[in-house]
Amino acid sequence: MTTKHQANNGHSHQPLKNFRVLDLSRIWAGPYCTKLMADMGAEIIKMESLSVYDSHRGPINPARGIAAYPDCEPGDEPWNRNGWFNCLHMSKYGISLELTTETGRKVFEQLVAISDVVIENFRQGSLERLGYSYETLRRIRPDLIYVSMPAFGNSGPWQKYLAYGIGQEQLSGMAHMTGYRNEGPMKSGINHGDPITGSHAAGVLLAALRYRKRTGKGMFVDVSQQESAVSLIGADVLAYQMTGKEPERRGNRSPYFAPHNSYQCAGDDRWVAISATNDEEWRQLAKQVGGPELAGGSRFSTLAGRMEHEDHLDELISGWTADKKAYDICHLLQKEGVPASPVMGGPDLLADPHYEARGTFVRVNHEQVGEMTYPGIPWKMSATPGEVRWASPTLGQHNRQIYGELLGIPAEGIDDLETQGIIGTKPTGSRII
Amino acid sequence: MTTESSNNGSLPGLLEGVRVIDLTHYLSGPYCTKLMATLGADVIKIERPGTGDPIRKFGPFPKALTPSPLPDGEEPHESGAWFLYLNTSKKSLTLDLHSDAGKDILKSLIPSAQIVVENFAPGTLDKLGLGYPDLQKLNPALVMTSITNYGQTGPYRDWKATELNLYAAGGLMYITGEPESEPLKEGAPLAQLGAGQTAFVATMGALMHAEDTGQGQHIDMSIADYATNILENAMMQYSYSGEEYTRVGNRGYGRAAWGIYPCQDGYVGIISGPDTRWPEIAGIMDREELSDPRFASRNGRLINADEVDALMLPWLLDHDKVDIFKAGQEAGLGFGFVATMEDILEMEQLTARDYFVDIDHGEAGTFRYPGAPIRATVTTYPQSPPCEGGEAAASQSSQVGQDNSAPLTDGRPQGGRTTGSAHDHWVYYRAPHLGEHTEEILGDALGQSSGEIAHLRGQGVI
Repeated sequence: MTTKHQANNGHSHQPLKNFRVLDLSRIWAGPYCTKLMADMGAEIIKMESLSVYDSHRGPINPARGIAAYPDCEPGDEPWNRNGWFNCLHMSKYGISLELTTETGRKVFEQLVAISDVVIENFRQGSLERLGYSYETLRRIRPDLIYVSMPAFGNSGPWQKYLAYGIGQEQLSGMAHMTGYRNEGPMKSGINHGDPITGSHAAGVLLAALRYRKRTGKGMFVDVSQQESAVSLIGADVLAYQMTGKEPERRGNRSPYFAPHNSYQCAGDDRWVAISATNDEEWRQLAKQVGGPELAGGSRFSTLAGRMEHEDHLDELISGWTADKKAYDICHLLQKEGVPASPVMGGPDLLADPHYEARGTFVRVNHEQVGEMTYPGIPWKMSATPGEVRWASPTLGQHNRQIYGELLGIPAEGIDDLETQGIIGTKPTGSRII
Repeated sequence: MTTESSNNGSLPGLLEGVRVIDLTHYLSGPYCTKLMATLGADVIKIERPGTGDPIRKFGPFPKALTPSPLPDGEEPHESGAWFLYLNTSKKSLTLDLHSDAGKDILKSLIPSAQIVVENFAPGTLDKLGLGYPDLQKLNPALVMTSITNYGQTGPYRDWKATELNLYAAGGLMYITGEPESEPLKEGAPLAQLGAGQTAFVATMGALMHAEDTGQGQHIDMSIADYATNILENAMMQYSYSGEEYTRVGNRGYGRAAWGIYPCQDGYVGIISGPDTRWPEIAGIMDREELSDPRFASRNGRLINADEVDALMLPWLLDHDKVDIFKAGQEAGLGFGFVATMEDILEMEQLTARDYFVDIDHGEAGTFRYPGAPIRATVTTYPQSPPCEGGEAAASQSSQVGQDNSAPLTDGRPQGGRTTGSAHDHWVYYRAPHLGEHTEEILGDALGQSSGEIAHLRGQGVI
């Protein structure tokens, strides 16, 4: 892992370096969209309110001992020390602004006028209540691309409803098809709805920017987080229409292959995931597991046989894995061409030689947190690799830079804005779900 | 809409004019190129003669008794759910990439393409002389996107994997499921599809860069890397505090009354926050005990989680999922419900927004397909925006198509947000039959005569 400071090497070659995004989005779906754009060099200006800052920063007065803070210590400014916020806003500028005052609104309109994109994921209609619809913003910036990503989109009977990523897993059908056999639906450990929508939106937004470049036309991008999530289970929607059968919850098993499961290994809560997708992989696995029951010509030698006797098959494999280390099993099986991987937890990921070799995670120095490890850029691009340019901004960190250098507001003017509480670096409240 | 192609057939997609050579199969690559194809790119899916994309063999199929997957050697079906969904709006060209003639045909397509997407095992195309260095010589601005399990580099580069393995290796599995049971994967292949989505983002950026500078590049997208990239909670907690994130079943991490609960006709999602909204829940559930000050804060509910659950359950078990969902939503709480496929197809919000696209495949029949994941709408409006010009110009011009017939009331731009006509730039055609467009592409694009095409077919090249 290489340490990233406030480096700026190669930025002039980044694909999105000429695009400016005024980012009003919060929590995860919107910020993940703009994170992907920042990873390709876009200028992201994350705008927050001092009274309702991005709730991923955590409460203004959190209890001690919460593990999202360095060593569980919130510190004097916990809103600047929350890991969940700090992993999603690297290479973005952070400003604060109150839209509830006339002066604040004028500044906002100046920002819109110089931005290519405005993105928000407020509850549907929230920005419009402040007087800012796509129509009004387009008067300020005629070729604006406006990305609005409420939970259910900007029309329809549920448009005012709320949902978080966890709700989108339910309403998209993902939860319905996830779970242990013969048990109820299960949520995932993350909230899949958010990153799915963030990356869908980023892809379409880039296509829209490219289109604008060719035609001069701005665009309204209407994101329903729910529709975005349902798009990933499309095959199951078709399958239901073909068969009349709802998808089955199968635990870790597959409708197509066996064996296909996670098996307990030596150690505390250690597991290995093993799958055999054809007879050859099965033969190699069987050779390693050994024992008279798996010898040639057994009832497991065909896919049909393995699927019919899968309970017993899983018992035999579990018996073999129980006293071995997950990583040892994987190296052994992969040498024979059998798909196997450790079920990795946090310590595995950060120590894993593969992720280390690829630079999957990055070390970034943050002024209030110190140097920490973060997920990096999800792709490797040969000509424009990009890099994390700086740590996630503290609240209002770039006020002087953006309002002064970009909008040309003189220092006294910025002081005035601070005195009036229209901008600042200290929150006046927090609203946390 | 019930047509082979929606979108009135007259509106270009956002990516109109972009040609993609699609060397992908199974899931991750095809979802990436599906996004391109439905946004209007000309996606030429290159498939192995005779068998095609192996996902063609994966059911279910419309005919209920068809075994799944098909035994080896049997003719591929055209109508499996996975294939049909992941390959809408693409063209199919069969080509044997192991033959010299097949390689030549592929190479002859490269100068006319902007993008190649592939998801073979690392090194496969290089061995065929069709790797990025080979293709880039034919088209310096070419963007080539490779999606693989673990990436093009690193010690696990050649490791074999299924979705199960990648969900595990990416750290997502360890935190999904019950603490006392085995870690659980998602039912849907979200690691592979998510990597496909993310590869689409990178490819769009690289395309814009190539158009700006003439410089192409190779994108290395690893499915495992993608999975770790969305592991924000567990990853950051361990990174910041050294505390390992654990499985918590259906309860929110460090939360109570936050997750999936049974109800009368299925399952619902209860969201007990923010704290200011919690008092509403006692009213909704008609359970005065839930107003107990002990439960007023997030931490209070966590300490008394079992008690809170026991107080909520009787009301939940006595009510329907949609009623519970709406009762919460009307009170400003982000409740959900666990939607079945039947629920999704009938969901009033999705039908009101005209989300589904009915596509007739011929052989497979007509089904409702999930439509655009994101609505991108160019608004055509008077030359000068209304407020500045004072009065709207009479003529509306559109650079996106001569579209006088398109109704304004097609259900897409609602909510009074648009004043002119507006359309989504998504184009839906049914998935192609194996090799359906072979002659068209070889004839039109490459100038092969019908005699040459017959010769290639005789040799098994196409």
